[in-house]
Amino acid sequence: MAEGSPPPGPDPAGPAPAVRPFLVTAGRVAPSASDRTMPVETQVVATAEGLDALGRLSFEQHDIVAACRQPQSIAEIAARLRLHLNVVRVLAEDLRSAGQLTVHVPNTDVVHDASVLRRVIDGLRAIPDSRGVLP
Amino acid sequence: MTPTESALVPQAPGGGAPTAGVRPPLPVKMVIAGGFGVGKTTAVGSISEIEPLTTEAAITEVAAGVDDLTHTPAKTTTTVAMDFGCITIDPTLKLYLFGTPGQERFGFMWDDIVEGALGGLVIVDTRRLDDCYAAVDYFEHKRIPFAVAVNAFDGRLEHTLDEVRWALDVAESVPVIAFDARERGSVRDALLVVLELALARTGG
Repeated sequence: MAEGSPPPGPDPAGPAPAVRPFLVTAGRVAPSASDRTMPVETQVVATAEGLDALGRLSFEQHDIVAACRQPQSIAEIAARLRLHLNVVRVLAEDLRSAGQLTVHVPNTDVVHDASVLRRVIDGLRAIPDSRGVLP
Repeated sequence: MTPTESALVPQAPGGGAPTAGVRPPLPVKMVIAGGFGVGKTTAVGSISEIEPLTTEAAITEVAAGVDDLTHTPAKTTTTVAMDFGCITIDPTLKLYLFGTPGQERFGFMWDDIVEGALGGLVIVDTRRLDDCYAAVDYFEHKRIPFAVAVNAFDGRLEHTLDEVRWALDVAESVPVIAFDARERGSVRDALLVVLELALARTGG
């Protein structure tokens, strides 16, 4: 098994940035565990305002809004942009406040509803044994 | 792109600005835990529709120091790599699979990743059983539905499932299964065992 060695697949963004996470967030950290932190699967989508503002946004803010033309989880954003999860949490909240992103935190009750579980089960059952040709 | 695109009209949650893109799917997640090199990344990669991605997550570590006179565990935050992938169930529902390391030291707290998960799969290599104790303890303590999946390297098990169950001392209600992390159908079936358990708990 390859764990511990570099992750599989191409390296999407080159070496990790040499900028400390604290600098990116101006010293702020994500809410502590006692607050409701954004779960890693929280979906983030750029707004029309955000896309219009792309030319005026800089660095990480620009990259996050640009990456969210399609809905992304904050985990995906962190991985693709090589940012720490908590940096993405802080910046996504900033961008949401500025109207440039919408942030969709999953509702725990909805997620654990039996009907959702059944849909996941049915969806998984439909996956064939081998990869084959994907539709 | 999808036949139901008209059903995905952007909505403005909480009165915020309308989204430019499609409405995001409801994200659900499962956690794949286990020791170093046990096959977590392989399992995620076998079934994920994307190449597994890696990000760093902060994990609070409780150091169990024997020389700690205050009996207050010292907490430090460490950063660990977390692999994940996803499966689009349909345009409105997406399953994320997070692989979390769990063997290193006593007392990992995975709340940052695991909170809200539908369930967990603890992958076991029978040659290094003790690597998975922390994960088993965590899911039991958090009352998250989980199964123990013994990764059959090269199709062989070093120990029977009964022996593994005895060694781990998990409750009878916890399924102990054999699977092959390299086989998509096998990973799918292991996840289904966990989801059926979760569904049974809802009374559904």
